Amino acid sequence: MGLVAANLQDPIAELVAREKHFQEWTEHPSSSLVHHDAECCERARLWFLAYARSMEIGNISQFEIKAPIWLQQLYSWGPSSWPIAWCELVNKKVLDCGVFAALAREVFKAQGHEVHPAQALLSYNETCTNHWKALWKKGKDDTVFPWIGDRLVYHELCVLELPDGTAKFYDSTWGNWYLSQPRFGFGAVLAVRSECPRLLRWGSRTVACGEWVEL
Amino acid sequence: MAPPKIFISGMHSGQNPCSGVGIARCLRAAFPNLTLVGVDHWQGSSGLHDKSIDETLLLPQWKQINDAQHGDHILSILNDDHLWIAAMDMEVHWLAEHLGAHSNLLAPGAKALELTAKPAVSGLDGLGFRVPDFISASLPDSDIHYFLRQHAWQCWLKSPYHDAKRISSWIGFVKARDAMAKSWRTSKLFLQRHIIGSEETIAFAAYQGELIAAAHMQKRQITPEGKTWAARVTAVEPDFLEGFKEAIRKLNYTGGGEVEFARDPDGHKWLIECNPRFPAWVYGGALAGQNVVAKLIAHVWNMPFLETVNPYPFFTRVVQDIPAKESVGIPLPPDPATMAWASEGKKGKSGPDFSALIPTLASAQEQHSKTPDKSGDVPEHIDPSYFTEISSLTEQYVGPTPARIHLEQWARGRFDRLAKRVKQASLNTSRIQIGFSVKTCPTDDYLRKAKESGFFAECISQMEVQRALSFGFLPSQIILNGPGKFWPLTDKPVTGLHALYCDSPEEFDRVIALPGIAKVIGFRMRVPKVHSRFGNPLDDPRRFSDLIHKMKKLQGRAELGFHFHMPSWAIGLQTWMQALDSLLIWCQIAERLSGRPVKHLDLGGGFFPADLERLDISGIQESVRKALPNVGTLYLEPGRSLTQDGEILVSRILDLRKTPDASLHEIVVDACIAELPLAQAYSHRLFFKQIGSLEANSPPVRLSKGETRILGRICMEDDILSDGVSLPESAQIGDYVIFGDAGGYERSMSYGFGRG
Ligand SMILES: [Zn+2]
Repeated sequence: MGLVAANLQDPIAELVAREKHFQEWTEHPSSSLVHHDAECCERARLWFLAYARSMEIGNISQFEIKAPIWLQQLYSWGPSSWPIAWCELVNKKVLDCGVFAALAREVFKAQGHEVHPAQALLSYNETCTNHWKALWKKGKDDTVFPWIGDRLVYHELCVLELPDGTAKFYDSTWGNWYLSQPRFGFGAVLAVRSECPRLLRWGSRTVACGEWVEL
Repeated sequence: MAPPKIFISGMHSGQNPCSGVGIARCLRAAFPNLTLVGVDHWQGSSGLHDKSIDETLLLPQWKQINDAQHGDHILSILNDDHLWIAAMDMEVHWLAEHLGAHSNLLAPGAKALELTAKPAVSGLDGLGFRVPDFISASLPDSDIHYFLRQHAWQCWLKSPYHDAKRISSWIGFVKARDAMAKSWRTSKLFLQRHIIGSEETIAFAAYQGELIAAAHMQKRQITPEGKTWAARVTAVEPDFLEGFKEAIRKLNYTGGGEVEFARDPDGHKWLIECNPRFPAWVYGGALAGQNVVAKLIAHVWNMPFLETVNPYPFFTRVVQDIPAKESVGIPLPPDPATMAWASEGKKGKSGPDFSALIPTLASAQEQHSKTPDKSGDVPEHIDPSYFTEISSLTEQYVGPTPARIHLEQWARGRFDRLAKRVKQASLNTSRIQIGFSVKTCPTDDYLRKAKESGFFAECISQMEVQRALSFGFLPSQIILNGPGKFWPLTDKPVTGLHALYCDSPEEFDRVIALPGIAKVIGFRMRVPKVHSRFGNPLDDPRRFSDLIHKMKKLQGRAELGFHFHMPSWAIGLQTWMQALDSLLIWCQIAERLSGRPVKHLDLGGGFFPADLERLDISGIQESVRKALPNVGTLYLEPGRSLTQDGEILVSRILDLRKTPDASLHEIVVDACIAELPLAQAYSHRLFFKQIGSLEANSPPVRLSKGETRILGRICMEDDILSDGVSLPESAQIGDYVIFGDAGGYERSMSYGFGRG
């Protein structure tokens, strides 16, 4: 009936076979923001960085990686039209995961971390993906990337490269850190890809630049 | 075709659970072979993992739901002969609005919802319920205040859906009203008087206007949130049942429901509300022999069910660990910084709520400013010269009390030490200029010292400017701040000031139109996350842009500066330094974008006396130099730190009160909160001196923490000057109690009271 959550006995191959955009997802580079090379964008970018720094006031955590969890208060998740420039995005209320990831990278970079774009393929049930397709259709922009499949979705993240060569994948849209163990059920992570030019260790896996790693 | 299933929503199962799991357990107990589908909008709803659930349907968060699509989806389920039991109030309302009636949808329709709406619940008229007095929370505040007074400040603030907050004070009401209006996005809140009575409810099930089953529950144990933990469940009294059947018929009710009421000691039943879904304890009812859910399904599908019989009609709850289902999955862990706030999540409608983070700082500030700090009650090191001065002044003192006495030498020392440090620090990269905060303590003594020390005068009104001028300060030695600089409006503003920091962009437009108003024109910055009502907010990119445009206008007219004031005494020096770092970044980008060099940086005041002397001035100068190399002068605006401990208040004991075992538990002194308005706001050092002490020159003794309260002389409940000191048992009427740290705002905010 297709109403209930993904049945995990389905082989991944079968999931993939149903997805007409699968090839596009696997080849899609991570999104990056446009900078008009003019004061409009520079002002927006500097405002954002100063704001990010203010959000760390009162954070008494002893660790140096301070994830920008406050991004979810500043913007909600939804469709963005691409390309998107700094001077446009700061005045938006709704941004997609590609913008969230690009903004989070700026914050981590400002904190002095090595951070790179990353992507993930996640599995959801069709009821969910249908609602998201409708939400994106409401954004009614042809320039939207077809990231939502039937049972698979394409998602953008950040990957932090720690000094010891390990990777930490951060879901900047929802404020979670991915675990290297396989994740099942609703929102199962099927594969991730890093754009860090160096080899990274992630749990027992090795993550090479631009290559999808199945979980 | 596959056998029909039952879809059950509301699978959140926490301290304040939804009823989905209870409904599923009721059905599993009665129909072992039914297929039950748990529905929720959040993966973290743990009821999805319960063994009574066969399948799960996880939907996106409500805000991602497409109404038409969701309606079509549910309709297709219903048309396939499956049943849908809605277990959440909000969802029931949504279904009534978007779907309407369907024979397989077990939820009340719009008309039934309207007639069972709080607070009147007109659909249940004639059943012997009384409705507690209520009033709309959007009426004028004076009406609401009257209502609260009438009801002894024991009321509930309720939203039209669910949610209720106990109200016992005006401040509590205002806060709760704001919070509830925001979280429910409605202004239709109301206040209802609290009813003292035992809490009871009637759970019921109905189908197309026919009452199928009802059970009567009496709470025996409740959680701190008022939720049921143990209860007795029995059949409903026949008398009530007859009328209730009629009411349900008129409402054409379908689905589960719950009538909540309180039974007072006189036996009156007071209606609290009628919820349009089964209660969360419904499975407890089934265990006690009243399975209202199973009876409904048995009626709708016309089939038999397994009945539970329990000779002891009670149930209780227990917390249970169960294995999680891989097919559902568990949400990813939240970022550690949010762990403390994320444990309970948000009732299955969305993931963990992070919004709690924003007000953290604000509430910390508030707490600090209201909670009395007891640390001063523990004797700490006191500078010998401070103590000597108090001794000699009180020894000679004869005259009326309470009396505020100025500690000339000590105060001079504070000024001299600061002047010396400033002089030394000014040899570094930037000059340090002190602006003495006039409002803190505008006495001649202090203004003279400030002037002699080379300090500027920091003023917040034209009145204060005039006071400074009359004392000999030049306009070019005056810094003008605050939201009310041009008060009183009848005065022509003094021009030629050293600096003026605008509190809003609107004020800037007026200031820039005044020729020669000040050498430095700047902006007070309201740094995001630092809770304040003052200054130019920076958290909106458009307003920030506007501010940059204004800065550009300064070219050729005035030098650019920034002002920032965050009381370090309230938030701690560590957070103050973080805020300073953040401020420097804002100033840096303002400089870059406006093209105007930032030449002046004013860091305000709000230091505790000891904190200012510990402040790492050269470290600050270095950070400023790196971030803002054009800054020539750094300003500090101490007031409290220079004056708070420069005065004492001498009072005498008027009354001594003892416990039955003769220990001194309270004294009344002739000082009061009119002389010490901040008695409870921060710690004061206290001293005691006996009269008629035979030893000449006996010095006062420092009082440590103890059991004797010090009460003020006036008839105000909050006139308590100390929660407890250790006073010698030999204390007598007329002995002296001396309050240290009685200068600064204790002086400037004091008032005359109770003097006839
Ligand atoms: Zn631009």
